[in-house]
Amino acid sequence: MRKTITAKQAAFLLPLFLLLAVFALYPIVSSAIYSLFDYRTNDQQVAGLYTSGNFNAPLFTEDCGYINWFLEDDITLLSEADQEELRAVMEQVDTLSAQYAELTDVTKISKAEATQITSDVEQIRTIIQAVYARNADVSFYNGWDKLNTIFTEMDSCLINSNFTGLAAYGKLLSDTRFFRSLRSTAIFTVISVSLELVFGMALALIMNQAIKGIGGIRTTALIPWAIPTAVSALMWSYMYDGSSGVVAKIFTDIGLIASPELMLLSASGAMTAAILADVWKTTPYMALLLLAGLQIIDKVLYESAKIDGAGPVKTFFRITLPLLKPSLLVALLFRTLDAFRVYDLIAVLTGGAQGTETLSIYAYKLMIAQNNYGYGAVVVLTMALCVGIIAFVFVKVLGAEIVKDD
Amino acid sequence: MKTKRLTKITSTIIIVAFLAVMVFPFFWILITSFKPSSEIFGKDTAFNIIANDPTLINYKAVLDKGILNSVKNSFIVAIVTTIYVVCVATLSAYILARVRFKGKGLVLGLILSVSMFPQMVVVGPIFNMFYKLNMLNSYFVTLAYSSITLPAAVWIMVAHFKRIPLSIEEAASIDGCSQWQTLWKVIFPIALPGVFTSAIMTFIAAWNEYLLTMTLNSDKQFQTVPVAINALRTQFSILWGEITAATVVVVIPTLIIVLLFQKQIVSGMTSGAVKE
Repeated sequence: MRKTITAKQAAFLLPLFLLLAVFALYPIVSSAIYSLFDYRTNDQQVAGLYTSGNFNAPLFTEDCGYINWFLEDDITLLSEADQEELRAVMEQVDTLSAQYAELTDVTKISKAEATQITSDVEQIRTIIQAVYARNADVSFYNGWDKLNTIFTEMDSCLINSNFTGLAAYGKLLSDTRFFRSLRSTAIFTVISVSLELVFGMALALIMNQAIKGIGGIRTTALIPWAIPTAVSALMWSYMYDGSSGVVAKIFTDIGLIASPELMLLSASGAMTAAILADVWKTTPYMALLLLAGLQIIDKVLYESAKIDGAGPVKTFFRITLPLLKPSLLVALLFRTLDAFRVYDLIAVLTGGAQGTETLSIYAYKLMIAQNNYGYGAVVVLTMALCVGIIAFVFVKVLGAEIVKDD
Repeated sequence: MKTKRLTKITSTIIIVAFLAVMVFPFFWILITSFKPSSEIFGKDTAFNIIANDPTLINYKAVLDKGILNSVKNSFIVAIVTTIYVVCVATLSAYILARVRFKGKGLVLGLILSVSMFPQMVVVGPIFNMFYKLNMLNSYFVTLAYSSITLPAAVWIMVAHFKRIPLSIEEAASIDGCSQWQTLWKVIFPIALPGVFTSAIMTFIAAWNEYLLTMTLNSDKQFQTVPVAINALRTQFSILWGEITAATVVVVIPTLIIVLLFQKQIVSGMTSGAVKE
C-alpha cells in the first residue's frame, strides 16, 4: 500500500468533502455560532447575528422627515414664541437627518456614535413634548401621540449587538422544560433499546437454527423497518385512537388500560405507545444485525461445547455472548443513538404531548415554530454532546469497534 | 430428544407470534381502507374485520387529493439522491479502501461523526441557507439529503472494496490502466453488488426522509409521501379512511423493493456492524 496520497487520488475525495462541508460541517458550525447569540428571526431587533451595534439609517432619515412634516402642520396653531422654539428644533432634526442621508442601508456603528444619536434624539423629543404639553388645550392636526409613535420607531433604528456568549448555556441549566425532555428521551431510549435487545436476541437465536422458511421470515421482518417512520407512526396513531383504534380497544379489553382514550391521552399511556411502536419497527433491525453476528461464529465451537457437556444456557453465556460482543455493541450503539435522536415517531404520534416531548421535538419547536434559533441551537448542541458521550462510552469504555483501519 | 422437541415448539410459537405482530398493523390498515367513514367511526362496526359495505371511496379520495403527485415527488427525490450519492461514495470509498495516507483515520472519523450527529443540528442552518438562496420548495432538498445518506453509503462501499483482492488492481496497473480506468473498468464491475447495496440503502433512506422535506418544502406541490400522508390529518378531522388508503398506496413500492432486494438490504444493514 502507498503511504502518501497523490493529488489525483485526493481529487477522488473532493466531491465527498464538498457535500459534507456544505451540508454537514457548515450547518454544525453555524449552529455553534447561533448558540452564542440571542438570535430570533421573528423579532427585527435580533433577527441577525450582530457582534457590533447597527444603525438603520434609511429608516432614521425617513422618521426625521415625518417629524418635521407633522410639526409643519401643527406649528401654525402655536404662539410666536413656541413657533420659534419648534423651528429651531426642526432645523436640528434636518441637520441630524442630513448626516446620515447618504447611507442607504443598515450600517455598523460604534458605541460612541450610538450614544450620541440617542442623546440627540432624546433632547429633541423632550423639547417637542414640552411644547405640546404647554399647549394641551389646542386641538392639533397631528398631536403628540402621533409624534410619539415616530420617536418610538426611531429607537428601533439602533440595533444593539445580540451577542450573548455562553449566557444561553447558563439559561439551559435552569430550564425545567429542557430537563423534562432530557428525561423523556432517556426513558424512551433505555426502555425501547432494552426491549429491542431482548426480543431481537431471541429472534436471532431462533433464526440461526436454520429453520425452514427463513427467507419469508426475513422479508416480513424487513417491511416494518423499510417503511417511513412517519407513515408507521401514523398507522399506530390510528390503532391507538381512543374511539376507533383496535390496539387501544384490545388493551382496554384485557385490562391494561382503564379506557381506550388513555392510550394517547395519559402520560404513561403515551410513552408506552411510543415505545411499543418503536419496538415494533426496529426489533427486526436488531434481530438481523445480531443474526449476522451469530452466523460468523464457528459452528465447531458449539459442537465441542456439546461434547464437553455444556448445557444451552452455559453455551449461550460462555460462547455465544462473548463472541457476539463486537456485533452486539455496534448494534446497541447504532440503536441507542437512533432512539436518542427520535423525532418522526413522536412528532406524528403525540406531537410531544403527555410528557413525550423529547430533545429533538423541543429543539424543533424552538427553532422552526418559535423562530428562536439561538436557544434552539443551544438545545441541539447539548443533544449532540449527549450523543458524543454515548458514543464515547460505547467505544472507549465498552470497547465497541467501529472504525477498523488496517 | 424431549427437550429438543420442546425447544422446537417454543421456537415455532415465538416465530408465529412475531410474524403475527409484524403483519397485524398492515392487515388492519388494509381492511380499514375499504371501510366507509360511517363504519370506521361507528361504535359497533369499528372493529369488524370485514366491512359490511366495502367501498373504494377512500382510494378515490386520496387519488383526487394528489397522492400520486407525492409518490412522483418521492421517486424524483429518492432517485436523484441515489444517483449522486452512489457516484460520490464510489469515488471516495475507493480511495479510502485502497490508499493509506496521513489523516485517513480523521476522514473516517469525520464520516462516522456525521452519521451519528443528531440530524436536528443541521436543520436550522440548512433552512436559513435554503431561505437565503431561495431554494425552499424545490427539488434542491435532495442535496440536503447528502448529510444523512452519504456516510452510510461510503461505509458500505469501503467494506465491499476492501474485499476485492489487491492483485487484480496491480495486474490492471501493470497492463497500463490509469487509476481512473482501474476504478471504472476493473474494480467497479467487481464491486457492483456493493454498489447496488449502497444504492438500495440510499434509496430507502431518501424515500423515508421526513424532517428535512417537512421543513424545507412546505408547499404541497413538492411534498414527498411521508409528509403528504401526515397532511391528511387536518386540524378539524382525522380522515382515517383516506389515511389508511394512502398508506396502502405508499407501502406498495417499499414492499416491492423489500421482496426483490432483501439480500442486498440485509447486507447493507450489517456491513460496518459485523466484523468478518
